[in-house]
Amino acid sequence: MNEAVVAADVRKQYGETVALDGVDLSVADGEVFGLIGPNGAGKTTLVRALTGTTAVDGEVSVHGETPTGIDADRIGLLPQSFAPPARLTARELVDYYGGLYDSARDTDDILATVGLENDADSWYETLSGGQQRRVCVGIALVNNPDVLFLDEPTTGIDPAGRRSLWSVLEGLAEGGTTIFLTSHSMAEVERLADRVGLLQDGRLVAVGSPAELIDSHGGGSRLVIETDDSSAAADALAAEGFEATAEPTTVVIAGVSPVDIGDAVAALSAADVGYESLTWTEPSLEDVYLQLTGETFEGAATPGGSVVAEQTAGDASATQAGTVSQDSAGSQDSTAPQDGTAQEGAR
Amino acid sequence: MSRARRIRAEAVGAWHSFLRRRTAVFFTFFFPVLLVVIFGALVRTQPTGGGLFAEPAAYYVPGYLATVVLFTPLSRVGSEIARHRDDSRFEKLATTPLGRAEWLIAHTLVNIAIIGLASLLILGLVVALTGAVIPLTPRLALLAPFTVAAVVLFCGFGAILGRLSSTQDGVIAASNTIAFPLLFLSDTFVTLDQLPPWFAPLVDLSPLTYFARGVRAVTTGEPATPALGVLAVLAVIFFVAGAYAIPRTD
Repeated sequence: MNEAVVAADVRKQYGETVALDGVDLSVADGEVFGLIGPNGAGKTTLVRALTGTTAVDGEVSVHGETPTGIDADRIGLLPQSFAPPARLTARELVDYYGGLYDSARDTDDILATVGLENDADSWYETLSGGQQRRVCVGIALVNNPDVLFLDEPTTGIDPAGRRSLWSVLEGLAEGGTTIFLTSHSMAEVERLADRVGLLQDGRLVAVGSPAELIDSHGGGSRLVIETDDSSAAADALAAEGFEATAEPTTVVIAGVSPVDIGDAVAALSAADVGYESLTWTEPSLEDVYLQLTGETFEGAATPGGSVVAEQTAGDASATQAGTVSQDSAGSQDSTAPQDGTAQEGAR
Repeated sequence: MSRARRIRAEAVGAWHSFLRRRTAVFFTFFFPVLLVVIFGALVRTQPTGGGLFAEPAAYYVPGYLATVVLFTPLSRVGSEIARHRDDSRFEKLATTPLGRAEWLIAHTLVNIAIIGLASLLILGLVVALTGAVIPLTPRLALLAPFTVAAVVLFCGFGAILGRLSSTQDGVIAASNTIAFPLLFLSDTFVTLDQLPPWFAPLVDLSPLTYFARGVRAVTTGEPATPALGVLAVLAVIFFVAGAYAIPRTD
């Protein structure tokens, strides 16, 4: 497959601060590439390097041309802190930016794409933060670009609006548009990106598909059993062949499959050990992020980020964690599991 | 055609943005009107009294026009550049086909329209309130190229200020600091014989001087001067420098 975006040994320094430290990267034509990383990691600088809006050392090309040499009709950009003129309507803004190109998409079509048909004649400054960001995404689409650079496109957008925009981007990707997006939302890149790159301190420390990164860096799935008698619970589970670790108020079983949850519950019942809840988590991209960046989540209840992973799953798409409560006779009391397996097992 | 389309799109956007900032519209027109009312109608000219405003009323037409020709482009273009930079608009525009010169042309056209309207208002007020006599001759049409040239010049100057100042406040402060001395020391409100002899050559260094002398020649029926040529050359120089100064990258 052809390479749409290539960066080779890209370096950028602001005074003493190294923003990019030898980044090598390639994005295939039609691929969705997600760039994640902590604040200050260099994500925005890399987007600027790839779009030619900052000068860097190293080689950058977009469809074989320099970013400043390529036909501007072929690329679209949504800068991170972009704000268009505040007293133009959404329609006027799309018209305005469309007018800068020889050929632009139909304004009504753009507004419909980003879900702003009903607010098209409102001034930008009177729109909500999420609507404003949708206008900005619409502006980035006016020239129907081959390569679209989106720097934190869904920042400030509510969950419904975010999912709506994800659908828009998925539609563009299906149509063959190459998308390079940065985000702090793991759910976003996990859902949208074919490959993900993790940038830290100006260096690309990991690149791969979300599944590959999770397999390589995410650790295994875990079942956390909240109980007052953790040692008895651990013994009962060990007797059934589970590798259980007793902690003060919980027992943790690492590497457990959802289909084995029922066996674990049966082992506890057979040993007459009560429990408050069972929480099964599988590693997510956020675990990868935390693992590779060394960042921690204040308030995490257990080492290894199980609480973080559970929250991530809830935020993301409720696909990666399930919690069941004994008191509720096996019905879920908090997050919805992926496919009901956790409840099934608990029952 | 493509270039015209881009400039039109940018100019229409800028025009609508300006018209919808009511305070900006109000003060753009109110400031020169205030000056005409204060100095032309209240202070009044005193041809035999000496000192300031001792010349015939028509003498001060270039000064009144200079208030919009000078202040408006300096502050508007300068602060527009600061606003664009703050909101990452140049970063966005850098990935579109719109060039720096095209951006400046578009915003200069908007300024020409605004300042043209304000100038007509000022001329009418000066005639109505101060009794200035402006001969209606074909030469009066030269007011248009003088105004256009001066606006182009000061739009370029404003772009340079916008590049050099890091904030909108900085642009306003810088433009005021530059514009006030120019307004009074460019053969506009203060005649050359009221200045120290050693200062007179410095007046020739002000671009506004050529606007003032040219407009005065046109509005008072004095002999033609090379002012328009000088102003046009300066306009080209400042416009090119201003276009070059517009940021494209960080």
